Amino acid sequence: MSTRDIVLVALFAAIIVVLGLLPPITLGFIPVPITAQSLGVMLAGCILGARRGAAAVLLVLLLGAIGLPVFSGGRGGLAVFAGPTAGYLVGFVPGAYVCGLIAERLVKEDQAELSQFLSFLAASVVGGIAVVYLFGIPWLTYVSGKAFFGTAAASLVFLPGDLIKAFVAMLAGRAVLAGYPLLPQRA
Amino acid sequence: MLNALDIEGDSPLHRMPVRGKLILLFSAAVGLFVVSDLRLLVPALALSAGLLLSTGIGAGQAFRRTRFVLFTVLLVAAANYVFVSPHEAAVVFCRLAALVLLAAAVTATTGISAFMDEIARLLTPLERYGFVRAADVSLAVGLVIRFVPEILSRYRDIAEAHRARGLPVRPLTTLVPLIILTLKDADTIAMAIDARGFRRH
Amino acid sequence: MDIVFTAATVRYAGRVALHPLDLALSERRIGIVGLNGSGKTTMARLINGLVKPTEGSVTVDGLDTVADEKAARGKTGFIFQNPQHQMILPILAEDIAFGLKNRGLAKAEITERTETILARFGISHLARRRVHELSGGETQLAAIASVLVTGPDLLILDEPTNQLDLKNRALIERTVAGLPEHVIVITHDLALIEGFDRVLVFHEGRLAADSRPAEAIGAYRKIAAC
Repeated sequence: MSTRDIVLVALFAAIIVVLGLLPPITLGFIPVPITAQSLGVMLAGCILGARRGAAAVLLVLLLGAIGLPVFSGGRGGLAVFAGPTAGYLVGFVPGAYVCGLIAERLVKEDQAELSQFLSFLAASVVGGIAVVYLFGIPWLTYVSGKAFFGTAAASLVFLPGDLIKAFVAMLAGRAVLAGYPLLPQRA
Repeated sequence: MLNALDIEGDSPLHRMPVRGKLILLFSAAVGLFVVSDLRLLVPALALSAGLLLSTGIGAGQAFRRTRFVLFTVLLVAAANYVFVSPHEAAVVFCRLAALVLLAAAVTATTGISAFMDEIARLLTPLERYGFVRAADVSLAVGLVIRFVPEILSRYRDIAEAHRARGLPVRPLTTLVPLIILTLKDADTIAMAIDARGFRRH
Repeated sequence: MDIVFTAATVRYAGRVALHPLDLALSERRIGIVGLNGSGKTTMARLINGLVKPTEGSVTVDGLDTVADEKAARGKTGFIFQNPQHQMILPILAEDIAFGLKNRGLAKAEITERTETILARFGISHLARRRVHELSGGETQLAAIASVLVTGPDLLILDEPTNQLDLKNRALIERTVAGLPEHVIVITHDLALIEGFDRVLVFHEGRLAADSRPAEAIGAYRKIAAC
């Protein structure tokens, strides 16, 4: 990683931290407040690509683990990693990586706008949702002991909110690509 | 802006080396998940709570820091109460809460530089294989702490500009300029770092 | 302190940023002026190796900026326009120590040199302050301290007062005037370089004028007028 890459990763990690410090934003058409931090995971992949996006998310987790209040709402420390939702947190890293991988492969700067939108959406849904849940749900069911089915089913209540985030990431990813492209392009 | 979560003190946990605390935490995690006997888990929970309070953190602050995670633990325990049995709910609650409080105690007694030193030590074998440099990690950590306040204030400027123009403060119209303006700075900041002898390829 | 440009050229994809330049610099105070895009910034960055010549060479006290990159860079400190981009660690004293850490110095020596440089610029009281709480002028001063702590013989300042208010501008002007090191200043602020030993004027990638401040600035005004 070049110095510039390190700075990009650190700046994006700082953006993710700031997203967690902002009051939850309500989108106009659905009265569900969005906690912006998990949106940051999708954005990291869509904007910086797989390697740097995953590094940025990993950096945020590291900062939280060493005792800085970087998680949503100013939380931090190892306690967050000891709880039932720790799997989701850990899953953010491969989630950002896969999101970035898909974005790098599918998105081209000279594509039609619609194709770019669909590619970013696919990246955000597969990486930012599917992969994250792949890590989050197993840990959640494991700590839930015998009530795993109930908690796994209950955790799906976050899916609509996450899909909205994927849409926002799609729009933002494309806008940033248009304004200041950083996504590495791979064939 | 980003104030570290460790607190001043001289408790046994404070004096314990970082690696020891992490091993302790890990062993406790394994132990707590292997055991299902309330006769062991309830004392374990009491012990964890005791350790957390022994750090000098005060019950109020301790609760404020852990209440969100403990709430999710409570939800999982409630699911057990509904779907399995009250006994199982108690087991799950004691187990998870004990781990959470112990983790909070480690965080409260370990400073950032202590953690960073330990990370540097752990990374030394990886450095040999060219995976990652400890210097890069500590620079990255410093950069984040350095720039979070700036980026937050830039967000506030953008939101203010929105309001001045009568626009609603929406995620899309605020986050996109925030991201672009922030990432654009990366080039000059990287140059300033390289100019001081850090150069990476 | 001798800087020698030998047919130094810088080409980017399709465009020439700097036409072949032959130049020898050794004066204590050198100013560089020119319109934006004139090549002055590129030329300055050739000196500390942030930009490598596409053709030709640049040497600093005999050290080639490409072949002996690290040693050559060690001789120069570089200050950028935006104070905010240069302070990279959260606490001032940490940021100053950063340049020293890269040289593998012992902790005790790092602390000593940090304290010395802070005292030299009269900002010891800011040592534990958070960088983002400093004023523009204080930040720029801190940036100068953090760059000079490694002991370079030459300090290059790229439009150092652009983003500062009048009071802070005066602070930087006084500070620069008092530096024992050799100084090269790129600036639009012509008053800053009036008393310098030599002023270079760049235009469209070439050296358009090279003389004492009065004549050079006059030549620059003519160029800027058309």
